[in-house]
Amino acid sequence: MQLFSNGLIAGSLAALIAGGLALVYGTLGVFNLALGQMVLAGGYATWWLHQNVGLSLPISIVGGIAIGAAISWMTFEIFIRPFYKRHRFLPLVTTISLSMILDALILLLFEERPRSILASMKDMRIILGASISTEQIMLILITCLLLAFFAFILHCTAFGRKLRAVVQNDFAAMSLGIPVGTLHRLIFIGSGVLAACAGIFIGIDQNLSPLLAFPLTIKAYAAVIAGGKGNFWGAVTCAYIIAFLEQLVVGIRWFGLFYIPAGYQDTVALVFIILFLLFKPAGLFGSQTRTA
Amino acid sequence: MNYFLHIFIISCIYIPPILGFNLVFGRGKLLHFGQTALGLAGAYGIWASFMLFHFPFLLSLLIGAACALCMALVLTWLSLRLDNDGLGVMSIALHLAILAVVLNSDRFTRGALGIPGIPRPLLLQSLPAYALLCAMIAVCWIIFMLIIERGKLRRNLQALAENHWHAEAIGVNRRWVYTIAFLISALGALTANVIFVPYMALLSPSDYGFPAMILNVMMVVAGGPGRVWGVVCAIFLLMGLHEGLRFLSLPAEMLGPTRLLLFGTILFIAVYFRRETLFPPERKV
Repeated sequence: MQLFSNGLIAGSLAALIAGGLALVYGTLGVFNLALGQMVLAGGYATWWLHQNVGLSLPISIVGGIAIGAAISWMTFEIFIRPFYKRHRFLPLVTTISLSMILDALILLLFEERPRSILASMKDMRIILGASISTEQIMLILITCLLLAFFAFILHCTAFGRKLRAVVQNDFAAMSLGIPVGTLHRLIFIGSGVLAACAGIFIGIDQNLSPLLAFPLTIKAYAAVIAGGKGNFWGAVTCAYIIAFLEQLVVGIRWFGLFYIPAGYQDTVALVFIILFLLFKPAGLFGSQTRTA
Repeated sequence: MNYFLHIFIISCIYIPPILGFNLVFGRGKLLHFGQTALGLAGAYGIWASFMLFHFPFLLSLLIGAACALCMALVLTWLSLRLDNDGLGVMSIALHLAILAVVLNSDRFTRGALGIPGIPRPLLLQSLPAYALLCAMIAVCWIIFMLIIERGKLRRNLQALAENHWHAEAIGVNRRWVYTIAFLISALGALTANVIFVPYMALLSPSDYGFPAMILNVMMVVAGGPGRVWGVVCAIFLLMGLHEGLRFLSLPAEMLGPTRLLLFGTILFIAVYFRRETLFPPERKV
């Protein structure tokens, strides 16, 4: 039960990041390798507003999300928009440069030591035999709410229909009068907001550290690729699958003989995804299309 | 003088792996970031066998070569199975996975401590002698790459980069061409690690992290993807800049971030000015 609850917490965090990414990939066809740094930027901004400026937690969270949105908007305007129409792989390299710049700024402004948004001890509860904190329950619930909100927007509103039209074919959508450029920008900012939310969750539940950025990015992309690129629900499902896999790998006594050390937790999940993609490159929910 | 010799040696050591990476990434337009993983696998294959298990050097070299070549074959397989962007992300995942194995297998690799005390060959104890060896290896690699540039492999890689369906239709064997390109790239990484590690006298996993991978990409992008001489110039310039930053009177904790900030900006500017040639649009009739 403890493994299940740990998987649910880690999966909720990954789903939040991967869901936004899947939408960005579906519409723009680009990968943003500075995503982990954008996650941390939202978390560090909230930490700074709450711990240094002394604002209350809700206002700090709103501030953190706003700063996350502003960073993702700037990222889109400077590092994505001038490049993605020329070639969709160019942003992959420009966002690597952005990741270096953000990494440097985080190190200069917040230093390398771990930072936690909540300084106090967490209130732990036992639910069905699993130990879980109030903050973690909130994280799982808020992720479910955000995903439900996204599902509602995507499938039940005119705006969602436009979004799905852009995901399917942006030229066809443009010919129907849909403002594709604006939607691209909005989707990118939306994914930045989800990333900032994830950063805030990390800051509340664990500690923020600059070292977290790259593994976060790669795990989120592993979920996007394994879920079938551009498939929102595929990415969310695979984020949970990867998280459960990570927990199972280190939490089970294998063949009743040994435990796999916790240091291998990330590795085993990544190797599993690599092997999985070698045999099913379109991903779990993707369809293999023939092109020429 | 010794400091300039040091920069010269490091630049020469970088030439084989970066030119190998340039062949795959710059010429073949295969968006992979696994060059550092190739070096990591090769380096630990050689030096862990030699220093920790006391195998003879030649046997250790063979083990290192086998590790690097196996890694190259995995990357080739990924490049054949995945889209270019999927390959980019998965090659980083592979790099992170290997790094995690190195950091956590204390018994076989000494983990984060690395393997210290790696001796230099007897005849290469002095800095000028080492510089001469590195220069000779670098020149050999440049000549080798120039020969490849004029040969069938380069033409096939370029054709596959433009449109692999069309290239395969005219008889280019994609699997074979990619395998050869990745194996050359692995050979470059292996060569560099045979000379780099004894030069530093330490095999440290921190030399194979994210910044090393970014430096590889930056050298190719700044030098002009696919251009041998351009990349060689970029290696010398960027290594000079990388090492020259030590002369700035910055506190130690600010030096790393400042270097990241500067190199991130350089990479962005290089991509901005190379945006037409880095990934040229497909030619259409």
